[in-house]
Amino acid sequence: MPSWSNFQPFIPIGLAAGGVYALSGVGMVVLYRATGVLNLAFGAIGAMGALIAWSMINTWHVPAGIAYVACILFGGVATLLYGMVFGRLLAARDPLVKAAATLGLALLMLGVMNRLWPAQVTRSITLPTDNTAFTFGDASVDWTQVIAVGFGVVMTVGTAIFLRVTKIGTAMRALADDREITATLGVPVRRVEAAAWFGSGLLAGAAGLLLADLVTLASDGLTFIVIFTLSAALIARLRSLTVTFVAAMVIGLVDNLITPINSITNFRDMTPFVLAIAALLFFSRERQYSFARGGIR
Amino acid sequence: MRKHFGWRVRIPVAMLVVAVGLTIAATGFSKTSGAHAVKAAGLACGLGTGQKATGTPIKIGAIAVKQAGTDFTDIPNMANAYFQCVNDNGGIYGHPIVQDLLTDQTDPGALAADAKQLIETDHVVGIAGSSDIIDCAVNSAYYKKMHFNVLEAGIAEQCYSSPAEAPVNMGPRYSADGATQTAIALHAKKIAFDQSNVPGTQYNLGGSKLIAKAAHVPIQFLTEDAANINGETAAEKEVQAAGPGGAVVLVFTPPVALQILQGAQHLGLENKVIWTCATPCNTDFLATALGSAWNHKLYVNAEMNLISQDNGPNSVLYQKVLKLYGSNVAGGIGSFSQFGFLLGQLAVKGLLSIKSKVYTPQTVNAAFKALKNFKTDFLCKPWYFGPLPNNTDFTVYPQDGKMVLVPKSGCLPISTVDPLVKQVRAYEKAHHV
Amino acid sequence: MADSNVATRSRSSLRAAARLSRRDAINLLVVAGGVLFVLLALPSLLTPYWVVTSTSAVTFMIVALGLGLLVGRVGMISLGQGAVLALGAWVGARLLFATALPYPIVLVMTGLITMVLGTMIGLPALRVSGLYLALVTLMLAGAITVVLVDTNFPNGGSGFLGYADQSTGTPPSIRRPSIAESDPAFFRYVVIVALLMFLLALWHIRGKPGRAWAAIRQSEPAALAAGVNVTVYKMWAFALASFVTGIAGALLGSASHVLYAYTFPTSQSIVLFAVVLMGGVYTLFGAVIAGVLLQVIPGAFTVWGIPSEWATILFGVGVLQVLTTAPAGIAHQLPSDLARLGRFLFGVARRRIPAGGRAP
Repeated sequence: MPSWSNFQPFIPIGLAAGGVYALSGVGMVVLYRATGVLNLAFGAIGAMGALIAWSMINTWHVPAGIAYVACILFGGVATLLYGMVFGRLLAARDPLVKAAATLGLALLMLGVMNRLWPAQVTRSITLPTDNTAFTFGDASVDWTQVIAVGFGVVMTVGTAIFLRVTKIGTAMRALADDREITATLGVPVRRVEAAAWFGSGLLAGAAGLLLADLVTLASDGLTFIVIFTLSAALIARLRSLTVTFVAAMVIGLVDNLITPINSITNFRDMTPFVLAIAALLFFSRERQYSFARGGIR
Repeated sequence: MRKHFGWRVRIPVAMLVVAVGLTIAATGFSKTSGAHAVKAAGLACGLGTGQKATGTPIKIGAIAVKQAGTDFTDIPNMANAYFQCVNDNGGIYGHPIVQDLLTDQTDPGALAADAKQLIETDHVVGIAGSSDIIDCAVNSAYYKKMHFNVLEAGIAEQCYSSPAEAPVNMGPRYSADGATQTAIALHAKKIAFDQSNVPGTQYNLGGSKLIAKAAHVPIQFLTEDAANINGETAAEKEVQAAGPGGAVVLVFTPPVALQILQGAQHLGLENKVIWTCATPCNTDFLATALGSAWNHKLYVNAEMNLISQDNGPNSVLYQKVLKLYGSNVAGGIGSFSQFGFLLGQLAVKGLLSIKSKVYTPQTVNAAFKALKNFKTDFLCKPWYFGPLPNNTDFTVYPQDGKMVLVPKSGCLPISTVDPLVKQVRAYEKAHHV
Repeated sequence: MADSNVATRSRSSLRAAARLSRRDAINLLVVAGGVLFVLLALPSLLTPYWVVTSTSAVTFMIVALGLGLLVGRVGMISLGQGAVLALGAWVGARLLFATALPYPIVLVMTGLITMVLGTMIGLPALRVSGLYLALVTLMLAGAITVVLVDTNFPNGGSGFLGYADQSTGTPPSIRRPSIAESDPAFFRYVVIVALLMFLLALWHIRGKPGRAWAAIRQSEPAALAAGVNVTVYKMWAFALASFVTGIAGALLGSASHVLYAYTFPTSQSIVLFAVVLMGGVYTLFGAVIAGVLLQVIPGAFTVWGIPSEWATILFGVGVLQVLTTAPAGIAHQLPSDLARLGRFLFGVARRRIPAGGRAP
């Protein structure tokens, strides 16, 4: 069994990963609550944004700052476009159909990315905060990790406040509860939904950029990392932002803290799946129970 | 009804148009560089006549892996770039070479089908320029049965044990041997050997295990799921396994190696251990991405000589061909396109050696098998058709964003502690190759 | 007046029934003819490459059949069928290496073992449904992939896992049935197995389970109220789907003689779902189309030198298109579009001919 000093370095790594998962999870949950769409192309959109930023920096020699902004904006615009076309076409359908359609978008984008950014070329994005490590106990920490965690916290808190305080946020929450009634009340449903699509897309772009730096800048890796981030949102049953954040942090931490334990290190990537499955089955049991009680009353 | 039909057609058509447009926009300008006949004059490709070959084509097959994340098509593409240069310079006594490239997505069933397509349906006369993760494992028996002698950049164990295959590279095992030797030479107290968790891990580490044992250096073996890797996590794990004064040996494809090294950089781990790496790390791109923080801190076993420092005639020709004909070699200068170039040269040398000037699978594969004493400044020693002709190579490290040869490192013979190397050296001594 | 109306209606419905059975007969004839052609003539018409590719296509038709049953008949989306296929391939390879049993017996055993494993994957369906079921199965597929990457696929090694890493020379190959060692013979064998699987599915759909599934798909509470044992029939569907998928997995191993974990990435479950949707989940013919889409199109792209990414793009566009405009998939859309195209061409021709007649 490894000692505490072996585990320590993995704490900041795990927290940083958790921060980005939280960022993605919050983006997915907000969109799901406002529009009923679980965007499984979240990772693909972020990946394409990051690849565009890479091309801007390395091919067109655009200043890095502008490229990063372009990456985040691309996430917003691409998600908004999808929402305007397919979000509307599928508005009346089952959440399952809406989610399945985003799988189509993910595949389409994956194909286009592999076409435009072939894998013969090794790519990477290095944020200026990368090479600024400081040590903390036995762990070295860099500022990108701090940003990842901080961004995760700020976005979770910020989004929660936004949903509570602002008019459009309140409208989003109302939409989540009942679309028909909200529309009857005179809320401009389409505009609110557009805001949700765009905002969630911005988060996809930001998460893509951070993941490209912290994990990888490979189209397939970033596209399917959505399965990881999804588990945090699932544990929160696609509702609570706080639970999404906590779950994401726990997933990032557990996944990394298992690493030094040689006997199970190869299975550490099962962490999010196992946690999500357990949580879902547990919660659904609770739900059925309360349903039954409601029935008795 | 009509409106319904309209939607049904319009949406996918619009999306396809967008996808096609984007793709053409991105790849279109690279395709326009087709007219290079004039520029090619004076290049010593093949016969070097400067005349375009117009005879009946000679079809050479190749199979390369091309999937999300792993794409080795630079190797056949560079071989084909050389073929194009040869075709513009008289071809094979007037016959142009046509490449028949099939791509594979690591699907064993489809790969078996690919080999059959090349040999039995497309009737290629030879296979040269292949590079695939599982081609040797799946098809080497079939190649042997069909009497094909394949020129390739090998990966799997069977590429180095089948009499029907001759690689220009060492593959993961022998290059890792070299990296382990370097780590030991730098007085590593312990070695952490990390690689992708794909079939063949035991094969890849086999040589290093023996070499470390012979040198009385403890060695620990790790694996990563390369499809889903966090560079920082992997780097921290490796450094902990190596311990103070230890060394890390990385055996990964360039993207994954880069992820791990950048992860190490994020955490300031570049000085904690001796970092060594097998051939894939030998690209300027990696050196550039890592920056000067890694100056002289990553020892890479390089199967091919560096281009930036060595301006031998072969390296000069390689760069010219890459520039004129290699528009689809996305990775540019690097080991992969060097492998491809060498494979193209070997195939052409074989074809030109056929005295009868009759190009059938029998004559061509006999000519491939007879290849020997091919001198190039890419390699330390002349190349010959055999299981491991490339067994002595270079050591490089990054310096200010470029890879440079480690001063005074010279040619590093892979240790004869590894049984196949011992066998091959004995063969070379006996046959004076 | 009212009476005559009823009479007309009953007469027309009788006529409809007669027409339907005639259509059934025609369909049956077409299918039988198609199968005979595929069995007898096709292997000799195809090049070796296409024989192998078609074998994969037929194998994946079986996989699509299983997933189509879940999605189309019961309304349960599983994004874990790729993992079930990988499990089937693992079990099949393990049994083929471990035993010398006749091939069909190994196939059935593989199907049964995979059925048990696959039903376990389906267990969450008792708790959750709809979107959550899809996501739980996706998570399970992810977890299974992690395990399979670590265990690898059997290659004649010893022990429970049957995997030996230090292999030299040509790896021992996963065997084929002794009567179907060659590629064309194995193709025929796979077609016959696929045919049996389709008949098995048809038998279920036409029978009591099919009616129960239809009821569950319409409304679970209503099905419950009508006395359908929802739990049993949901698990039954998962069991049947896993059984056929397991058999497909065993065939896949024999077809390629060797299996690798990276042949079964988690994303395969997603692509599988995409092509099954595109093919159409409401008819068995949709599964045939899905198999063709998944294997024949990429196979053709390889030979034609079209980059494989186009297949991914095509599948993505296909999913969006099917979900927005044609929920019944190509199986439904193709005939109706062809009919529409025919009418359109006929209309054009009718308009053109007199015009052409008047011209010099």
